[in-house]
Amino acid sequence: MKILRYLLLGLALVLIIIQFVPNELPAVEMNNPSDLLATDQVDGEVANLLKAACYDCHSNSTKYPWYSHVAPVSWLVAKDTREGREEVNFSNWSDYDMMDQLKILDDVYSEVEEEHMPLPIYITMHSEADLTPEQRQKIMAWAESTMDIIAEEE
Amino acid sequence: MKRLSLIPIAGLVAVLFFQAAQKPEFESHPELDEAKMPAKVKAVVEQKCYGCHNAESKSDKAKKKLDWDEFEAAKKSKQLAAMAEINETLVEGEMPPKKFLENKPEGKLTEEELQILLDWSSGKKKKDE
Repeated sequence: MKILRYLLLGLALVLIIIQFVPNELPAVEMNNPSDLLATDQVDGEVANLLKAACYDCHSNSTKYPWYSHVAPVSWLVAKDTREGREEVNFSNWSDYDMMDQLKILDDVYSEVEEEHMPLPIYITMHSEADLTPEQRQKIMAWAESTMDIIAEEE
Repeated sequence: MKRLSLIPIAGLVAVLFFQAAQKPEFESHPELDEAKMPAKVKAVVEQKCYGCHNAESKSDKAKKKLDWDEFEAAKKSKQLAAMAEINETLVEGEMPPKKFLENKPEGKLTEEELQILLDWSSGKKKKDE
């Protein structure tokens, strides 16, 4: 019994100590004039799906839950958000050139189709990001038709 | 008699072996349509990429990432997206894979070949063309 108490105490101490490890969550910016949602390339329903399932990591308008400020979860959230934005940031949509937009939409299609995205660990904490097969189809159909429109405009 | 009957079999085996050893690599692929790809791009692709990135490729990974047979048949939007992907891969120096080049150093892209692929896959049309 004593050992267990020491263990729990030790664990609590470790948890307290790691809160002081420097870790910065990527900054939130709600005013994004180049955002995909500010264009006419996406309609209401798909826009809502993207916002619910992708925008926490793939835009500047991340909604951080309370536990994303608590280590060690905060480390994972910071890493996933930073890397997600690097890969695709829908808040910078209009700044991407045509070729990059096509590549991103092509990736959206396959990542959503193969259920690589949203990340499984993200879905466990965000049930609204758990896309139904129909919702996945909607996003894929949108990505494909938008690619056609962009390619024709060239 | 038994020995003699072995000759045609040995012959057949030799033919099969010869065919297998002569895998297409440098052969011309009529399915790579020139209208969609300039001739010099096509030449580099056939020599340096097509060996792994084709519909019958033994490497599922290579085929899944990029299949030139599929590319040819794809619509414009898909082709442009694939070109952007190719461009990024080449800029980052990820292809041909280092592991592959260890066994086949001649598979490396020359400066000139790399430039041809980069110019084409960037999707930007040059002024003099």
